[in-house]
Parts: sequence; C-alpha cells; structure tokens
Amino acid sequence: MKASKDKRTTEKPLTGARRNGGSFNPGSIARPPDGPMTPLSNRGTAQPDSRTLERMLYYLKLTREAEYRIERVLYRQGKIVGGVYVGRGQEAMAVGATIQLREGDVTFPSHRDFAAWLIRGFTLRQIFLNWLGRGDGPSRGRENTGHFGDVKRGLIPIISPLGDTCPLACGTALVQKQRGQGHVTLVHFGEGTTSRGDVHEAMNMAAVWKLPVIFICNNNAYAYSTPTERQYAVKDLSVRGPAYGMPGVTIDGNDVLAVYEAVRRAIARARVGNGPTFIECKTFRMTGHSAHDGAEYVPKRQFEVWAQKDPVARLEKLLFAKKLLTPKAVREMEEAIAEALDDAAAFAESSALPEGAEATEGVYCGPKCWWQSRLHDD
Amino acid sequence: MAEKLTRAQYHDLYYYLRLNRRVDEQLTSLYRQGKVVGGVYSSLGQEATAVGSAYALGPDDFLGGMIRDVGAMLVRGFPPRDVFLQYMARRDGPTGGRDANNHFGDLKRGVMAPVSMLGELVPLLAGVGLAARIRRERRVGLTYVGDGATSTTPFHEGLNFAAVLKLPLIVIVENNGWAYSTPVERQMANTKIVDRARAYGIAGEAIDGNDVLEVYEATRRAMQRGYNGDGPTLIEAETMRMKGHAEHDDARYVPKEMLETWRERDPIVNYEKFLTKEKLLTSDEKAVIEARLDKVIREDVEFAERSPFPAPEEAAQPVWA
Repeated sequence: MKASKDKRTTEKPLTGARRNGGSFNPGSIARPPDGPMTPLSNRGTAQPDSRTLERMLYYLKLTREAEYRIERVLYRQGKIVGGVYVGRGQEAMAVGATIQLREGDVTFPSHRDFAAWLIRGFTLRQIFLNWLGRGDGPSRGRENTGHFGDVKRGLIPIISPLGDTCPLACGTALVQKQRGQGHVTLVHFGEGTTSRGDVHEAMNMAAVWKLPVIFICNNNAYAYSTPTERQYAVKDLSVRGPAYGMPGVTIDGNDVLAVYEAVRRAIARARVGNGPTFIECKTFRMTGHSAHDGAEYVPKRQFEVWAQKDPVARLEKLLFAKKLLTPKAVREMEEAIAEALDDAAAFAESSALPEGAEATEGVYCGPKCWWQSRLHDD
Repeated sequence: MAEKLTRAQYHDLYYYLRLNRRVDEQLTSLYRQGKVVGGVYSSLGQEATAVGSAYALGPDDFLGGMIRDVGAMLVRGFPPRDVFLQYMARRDGPTGGRDANNHFGDLKRGVMAPVSMLGELVPLLAGVGLAARIRRERRVGLTYVGDGATSTTPFHEGLNFAAVLKLPLIVIVENNGWAYSTPVERQMANTKIVDRARAYGIAGEAIDGNDVLEVYEATRRAMQRGYNGDGPTLIEAETMRMKGHAEHDDARYVPKEMLETWRERDPIVNYEKFLTKEKLLTSDEKAVIEARLDKVIREDVEFAERSPFPAPEEAAQPVWA
C-alpha cells in the first residue's frame, strides 16, 4: 500500500475491536418488547454462540441505520451522485451468511447486502466516501454503490448486470478447490436474477465440478417491479437445486438464525468437497427498487405483513428472551452506531471530490495502474 | 396407445424413418466423393425422435430443429433434393449455396431454420407460442436441443419464460449421450434431464427416443397441453449418436460397448420388427416403399449434382436483409 493511500485502510474497521469493549455485554434481565412478531426458528444443531448472536444484532442494526442515512438523509439532501439501492428488510442474509466466513473464503454480495462489506472489514468511512463519490473512496469517485471490493478481503465487487457474479463465483471456487485448503465461496443474487442464463450455467457447472460454492438467492419478492409469479412458475426456487444435482433448501430469509444454519450446513458440505448448495431465502424488499422508486406497484398490505417479520427486531427480541442482552446494552450499541455513522458521514462530506485530471486513471488497467499496485503490494 | 394410427400412418412413419436414413447414407457417400462443402452431421440412430415428433404435429404447428433433425424437415415436406443441394452448396438450394447443412426453413411449412448456436431455438419457438397466444391461434412450437445445449443460457431463459407465460412450447431434449466428445455425466451432475421440468414448473416426460411410436404419443400429449393452455412440456428422449459429431470425427472417445448396446436399439430395425409382428407391413408393401425411396433418392441426387454453383457476384446479395 502506498503511503498516500494509507488513510483509506488504516482506519480501524468497526468490526470487533470497537464494539467489543464490553459496553453492551449481557447485563440485567430485560423484558422483551411487546407486539406480534414471527418467532425465530430456534432449531438446528450448531447454534451461534452468544458473541456471534450479539455481533449479528450489531451488524443488522448498523446496516439498517447506515442505509437509512444514505437513502433517507444524504440522498434526499442531494449529496449522493447517482441512485441508491438498499437492503432494508433483508439485512439478515448478508449478516447470517458472511459472519461465518473465514480468511481465504470469498463472498460475492448483491447490491443489497451492505453488511457483507462491513463484516469483511471495510470501514463505514470507506463506504460513505464511495457513496458520496469522493476522491479518497475505494473507487476514487468513479462510481457509487457497492462496486468496490478487495481480493485480499475476499469480497468481490458487485457487477451491475446481475447474475454475472455467479460464473465468477464458480471461478474462485474452482481455484479454492484446486488449492485444497477447504475454502468456500458465497454468492448472493435476487430471484429475478435466477431467470438469467449466467445463473443457470454457473449452477450447472458448480454441480458437475462439485465446486465449493454456495448459491444464496435473496428472494425479495420483486425484481424491480416484477413480482415472483411473473418471474418463475414454481412455488419454491429451491427445487432447482436437485434439478442440477445439488441440495436445495428454502428458508425464512428474515430469520438470521435460519440463514446462519442453512449457510453453515452448506459451508460444511463445501469445505469437505461435497459440492455446492442452493439456498433460497424468502424475504421482502421494504423499499422501492431504489431511492427514486416509490414502489406503488407493491400492495401496501405486503409491507404491513412483512413489517411483522422484521429481521432486526426479531433477533433483538430473541436476545432479550435469552437474556443475552439488556435494553441498556442495546441503547449503548445504538449510540455507538449513531456515533460511528456521524463520524463516517462527516468524514466523507469533508473529503474532496476527485480531480478531473485523474478521471481515467484506474479505468483501464496497465502495468502501472492503481489496481495492479493494490494487488501486488504487501 | 392413446390414438390409433391408421395403416397408412404406420407406413408414413416407416417411410420417413427410412428416407431419413437413406438421405444420411447418401450424404456420407457424397462427402466421401468430395462433393460436400463442409461437414456432414449424421442423424444415424436418432431418426425416430425427429420423425415421430414432427409427424405428430398438425399443419399449423411450428418446429425448429437441430442439424441432426433432417427427418423432421423431410416430414414437413422438404424434398431430399433440398438437403443434397444444401450440402453441396448449389445455386438451386434453399440458401442458394450460401450455407451448407440443413440451415434453411420455410415459414409456410412451419419450419424455423436451425440455428448453429444450440439452444437458441428455445426462445424462438417460445416466441412462436407467444404469437399464437396473442393471435388466438391453435398452434404449438416444437424444438429440439441436445443434452449439451441444456447447459446453455437460451435453454434456461427460454424455458423459464415459456413456463411463466404458460406458452404452447414443446422442448424435446435429444439425449444422445454426447455433446461432441463430452459425455452426459461431464455435462450435468443430475443426468435425469427430465428433472429439469420440475425446476421450471412445467410438465416433463422421459421417453425412449428410439421408439418412434412413443415419441409420437408423447408429442401428441404435449401438443394437447399446449393447445389447452397448460404450458410447455419438456420431453427427454433417450437416444444415441451412432456416429461421430460429424463425418470428420471418428468418435474414438465413445466406448465400443456403448455403440454395440445401442445398435440393438436401432429405431428403424425395431420399428420394422414391430410392424411385421403386428402384420402392419407386408413384404410387398415394404418393397413398394423401398422402390419409392430408391426413386426419390436417385432423382434428387441427380438433380442436385446437375445444379450449378452460385455465381460469385451474387454471393452477398441476400446475406443482409
């Protein structure tokens, strides 16, 4: 890493260290919040430990708040260049899946899997810089959204033509298989994307070659404005797994523990060479396709139904019930999140926009290009 | 059997099976005489799938075949001379010598020209089904893909699209064991291709592709689903490519025993046995059919050989519309 770029990566990631100070460790017994709520499927053989549960709640809340700032504050203030795509209501997939990855594993999140970047070690400052198109951001202001990643962190940027990440995920999984170190690849995509040939070709190839890749369909019920019944003619997309010769499972995507468990099993299979798994997570996009879309085509009732299944509130309720968390600890967690977001937003806003003269740098990759130097340093 | 065929229909099927094979044999000898421009892609051993399914279709239905589905085109009324003219790239051929093989069609005969990029016909024939739906016409679109083409994008996208819109589409997967040199088990992890039907929410049938009557009946059932608005059908027809990918490929990668097993399942020999056993074909009737075949093959080869090559100055004319 060149010295001049240091500030992009030396900032401490908001993963463990900062929030592990014990400020919101389990404390006194708290009463769970009232109101109807779909219970979490608290089954499975290997439940995440209390630390992991807490971290999952933290990332769920952080995602929700960060995306609120981006979509409902900064975008509406006209500070964001371009559109904004968030994962409100579907935060559990990225959290439940990414949190189990080890070093050497790779993930290909979708544009609605905000938490994947955080869990893989990107900082809020980096993310906000990118959204605001600043010169110091990961893509140096050349684009926004999640079009940035880091090979070393095992996070590959999203690709706007959806589905194209699936064959790429087969590629990283093939390398992982050849290296034989038991690493795995996750790839997230929406239900609309399953209609694309890239997904088909990738799933078929992964099954034939028994690649250590986990296909996670974040089925959020709408592909832009296309509802699922206009997208495919089956009840559950997971039937496609066996058609290709891999296990297929449909789960409640708003249940972070169900996501965790399904992904855990799939990873265990993949690590020992038993090949891919297809996981369909049923969830709901609690917003428009993007910030400019009012989603009038979605029946209001749907939002009400799915609000009862909110993944953040459900995990919070469970942690209260399990006495792993007190309201005080949650408050502290929320304060820490608000503080971190204030910092990231202020930092990004005070950063400079990119210099016009640099616009084409890093667009085409030559021997001296910025990406090359990033791949080969340290 | 769901529908009783007439004696004449049994004979038709026999005639087209034999015609398909005779055309195939003739192309092979023309190729060896150096008269064919390009390769020859044989239907040997797979004739029943193309003939049985095409014969089931009604006059308003559409089909789009692959390079080995010459039999389907013969059933739809193309004379063998068109095939010979094409393979020898002559001026009087359907493409005027601009293309070889059976890359030609005719909308009046309800035949879409084969597309070299395999699988591409699935969305096209879904389009035929969609047009029929919009125009309120009673029509199905039928197409064929190989086991290899099931791994392609258009197969998936076309089939999913047709499933969602419940289009009158029939996709026959001619599972002939090999995609060029790739065996089925290197092509897909679940080799029961008919299982894919469930993945799209459509009807699926697995049949013996070397049994012309089974192919005929399965196609009739699929047509009925299409006409009734019950959506597409995926038919997996198990068969075997008895030659190389093309005449230039000796297929040494195919185990000998596999070919021997399948030789016992020759679609024409077995159909003839059936007809003889059921007293549906006398030796006199057979002799008449063979004489008819001799005549048409002889005349059409002669016609094709007499046809001139295209004039170079015309070469580019109908290439762009």
